[in-house]
This record gives sequence, C-alpha cells and structure tokens, in this order.
Amino acid sequence: MSPRRALIAIVAGSVALSAAWAAARDPNLLDLSADELQRIQRHGPWPPPRALDPGNAVAGDAAAIQLGQQLFFDARLSIDGTMSCATCHQPLLAFADARARSRGRQDLDRNAPSLWNAAHERWYGWDGAADSLWAQAIRPILHAHEMDANPQHVRDTIARDPELACRYRKAFGRVPEDDADAVLVDVSKAIGAFVGTLVSGRTPFDAFRDALARGDAKAAARYPLPAQRGLRLFVGRGNCHLCHVGPLFTNGEFGDTGLPFFVRPGVVDPGRQRGIELLQLSEYNLLSRWSDARDDATVAMKTKQVMPQHRNFGEFKVPSLRNVALTAPYAHDGQLATLDDVVRHYSELNLERLHADGEQILKPLHLSDAERADLVAFLRSLSDPKATLWQPSRLPICKPGLARPPEEARSPLGGRERSEPGGQIKP
Amino acid sequence: MALFAALGTGAHAADDCASALNAANALVAEADVSRVLFVARPAVVPVGRHFQIDFVVCNGNALRDDAKVQVDADMPAHRHGMNYRAAVSPLGGGVQRADGLMFHMPGTWRVIFDVMLDGRTLRLTRELEVQ
Repeated sequence: MSPRRALIAIVAGSVALSAAWAAARDPNLLDLSADELQRIQRHGPWPPPRALDPGNAVAGDAAAIQLGQQLFFDARLSIDGTMSCATCHQPLLAFADARARSRGRQDLDRNAPSLWNAAHERWYGWDGAADSLWAQAIRPILHAHEMDANPQHVRDTIARDPELACRYRKAFGRVPEDDADAVLVDVSKAIGAFVGTLVSGRTPFDAFRDALARGDAKAAARYPLPAQRGLRLFVGRGNCHLCHVGPLFTNGEFGDTGLPFFVRPGVVDPGRQRGIELLQLSEYNLLSRWSDARDDATVAMKTKQVMPQHRNFGEFKVPSLRNVALTAPYAHDGQLATLDDVVRHYSELNLERLHADGEQILKPLHLSDAERADLVAFLRSLSDPKATLWQPSRLPICKPGLARPPEEARSPLGGRERSEPGGQIKP
Repeated sequence: MALFAALGTGAHAADDCASALNAANALVAEADVSRVLFVARPAVVPVGRHFQIDFVVCNGNALRDDAKVQVDADMPAHRHGMNYRAAVSPLGGGVQRADGLMFHMPGTWRVIFDVMLDGRTLRLTRELEVQ
C-alpha cells in the first residue's frame, strides 16, 4: 500500500473487519485483502438516508406525491395527448424504455435513464443540464420533440379536470388559476416529489457487502464466486470504482469514456459542455426565482460553482449501476446493447477516441473471456429483483374541502405532511 | 521582531497564526517561510460531496489576514482537476473559507493555495489521500 500523506476519509471498522475475515476461511469465498474489503464497504449501506428534491418545497409531501403520481401517467400533459412521462419511463422496464434512443414526437438523440433512486443524483439528464428533479421534469414537457406542451396547456389541463384541480389545491393551497408559468413549475415539483419516492430495494451485492461488514462468512458465501471475482476486478484492476463510487455506484459527475458521440453523420452530441451552458441559461435552475431554496447557498452550491472546462466536450453522466441489468441498452445513446458489450468496450478501449485533456484514468483492461463474464456476473448482482414490479398506489378520492390553506403550502424544507413512497412493489 | 517588521501591514503577533484557526489537527501547506494552515469541514471528506476548507495564511509565525488566496485541487496522476470552482470568503480574525470544493474520485488529491501577498503570488500545495 502506498504511503498515506494524510488520511482524510476511511471506512469505519475495516481493521476489525479484515481480522475477522482472515479467521473465516470458506471455499466459496475469495480471500479478500483489507484494501479490497474497505473498498467494497464504500458501496453501502443500502438504502441510504432519504434524499429530497432540492429547491422543491413540496418534496416529500403526501398531497404533492399523489398529484405527481397521477400526472406522471397522464398523457394529457403533452400537447396532443399522446405521451406522458411514463412513455419513456415505464415501471415494468425499471422506469426506462428499453430503447437505444427514446421516441417522443420524433426519434430522440439519447437513451432514457431509469428513474430509480433519482433523488440521490446530483445532476439530471446525460448532460446534467438540470440541477433538480423538478427542473428536469420541465424539460420533456416543453421540448418540441417530446411532449411539446407550453405553460398555458399545462395550466388548462389541471384547471379543467376537477380531480387534478382538487389535488393541485391540496398540494399547493391555491387554485390553478394563477399565472401559467407558476402552474407549470408546481406541476413539475409535484412530479419531482413523486419521482423522489422511487428508491429501489436491496440487491444480492448489498447482502454480501453487509455480511462482510458483520464478519458473517456463511452468509457472504451465498454470493456467487463469479460475482465475487467480478467485484474484485471492479474495485481493483478495472478501476471501475473510481467513477462508479459509493452506494449509488456513481460519483454523480461526468466523463468521456471513448464512446463515439456522433448523433448522426456530421452532428455530434457535445454532452456536458452544452449541459453546463443550458444549466446556466435555464430559468428554472436552483438560482432562479422558481427555486424554493434560492437563498440557501448550500442547496445551490453545485449550480453556482460548477466550472465549464474544455474537457467537458463529449463527457456524459456517470450512470448509477444499481439495477443496471434491467436497463439495457447502455450509454448516453444506447449504443451498447448488453452488459457484455459494455465490459468489452472497456476491455478493448480505443485511447485515441478519448478527448480528455491528457486524463489518465481509462486504459484498455485486456480482460479474458472468463474475466468479462465475472464482471458481468457482478454487475447483474447490483439489481433489485423487484425493480420491474412497481405498481402505482391507488390514490384516494380528492375531497375539495380538505384543500391546504395557502400559508401552509410552502414550508422552507418541504410540506408539513411527510409521506411514504407513492407506489409499491407487488411481490 | 525583525521578521514582523519585514512582513508589513497585516502581520499579527507570532502565536496568532496557529491559534487563529482554532483547530487541533490542522494540515499544513508550506513553501519557504510561508504556510497555509487548514482544516476540511467536514473533517472526513466524503468522495463526491461538496466540502469546505477553513484556512489561515502565515508568514513565519505571523498571521497574514491581508493575503488574497485562490483555492483549487487536482489529481496529478489522473491529470484532471475539480469540476467546481471554489469561492473564498473571509470568516473574520484572519480565517478564510473556501466553499464548493469537491473530490469526485477516491485517490491522491493535491490541494492548491495560490497566495497573493506583498505583490507576488506563491503556490503552496498539500497532497491528501481520499478514500
């Protein structure tokens, strides 16, 4: 181990852990080093503490979550009534759509990411052009190639449906007759509140990781050896854990992985470079008048301090690997069909395709067939078996008399009525 | 005393420098007689989360509250820096705070203090192992 000039962070209990582990030999367990054990521990625990959509005063609010759930599946939000959020984020497909590139009113340029655990992300969209779930929800609603709506259409959709209007009043404490821009933002915050409830369950990896933490060799040995070997590659020679770090298996930032980023001949997707431009131009970012936390320097820190750099061109978000086996195809434009294709890409990486400024993280791994299979086995163990079984909660009938008084609608940290997740997993 | 005289305005008495930061486990970046004493907040810096650095600039043992400082960080082995630009503001008593830093990968990071003092700029660095 290289000498440590100053130890800033360490995973608790690693010394005791490795000692306990050394005493517990099992033929179905790899002989993991203290370093490996420590790195594995950093990918948990799961689930993490609850996260709320930033700048969204109704995040976590029961009435807003119910409104958001209803709107998520309501195609009337689109200008021609043909698509809803769920068109590209289908619960039975782990809130993705299984297409390489999604299809809106016309073919789109990017792959639809899963919405599981979205509340724990920092940036939204492959380019990170949105800094909150609610700001991200506005993009497809207004985008000409997607739902192609406008604020007036959204306001009218809410106001003309008695049940939606009732839910809106319950969530926001006023009738949807205000200015249409405000209604659009409220609708997006309700959708953000709903999406924020989507936290996937535990995985075989989580059981293994926690068994290691307890020093429970018998329980740990239930984790298949190919997955253990793949995990060793992941936290070792593969260097995958440098970007796919933490319980969510992402650092929430962006990288150029040497994938072609031509949208079509002669047209490139600039990725993060354009994403930062759009973020800073957005009238809905966390520094905008629509944010419920614009005066909170901590909440808006990322938006204020993000730094455009030359290397951002061609960078795309490092995706979470939770539920990755359920969300093929892969990469920002779905150009990799299978997990084996993903692993093969890193194994045979073409360094000439990397556009980073001399960045020296990615190198061809030159994996054998067996090693590739092990890495895929590990990646498959990161999925919650129930992540395609989510079904919406049956919403209670909205009674207009229970509308929230306006002064209670927007507390600084979210609605006063906290809620459990809006939907449920059907076993 | 000769040292203090040479430091010009902004210099405080000798012990002020270390005591101003009021931190038992301050880290040090130094070059020649200049030092930056600093602490991270939180002390255990998580990968992929924003954090702050509180620091003081010292010349010899004297606190220099007139120093203008830019704070940055990079990973020399990876040849990349941070994705965020730190904002420095005074906290009072010669202590300054760098806000908005983020180490987005585990590994060896180098914290960089560009200190502008007495008409010249001095770069002080300190490597940190982040896990």
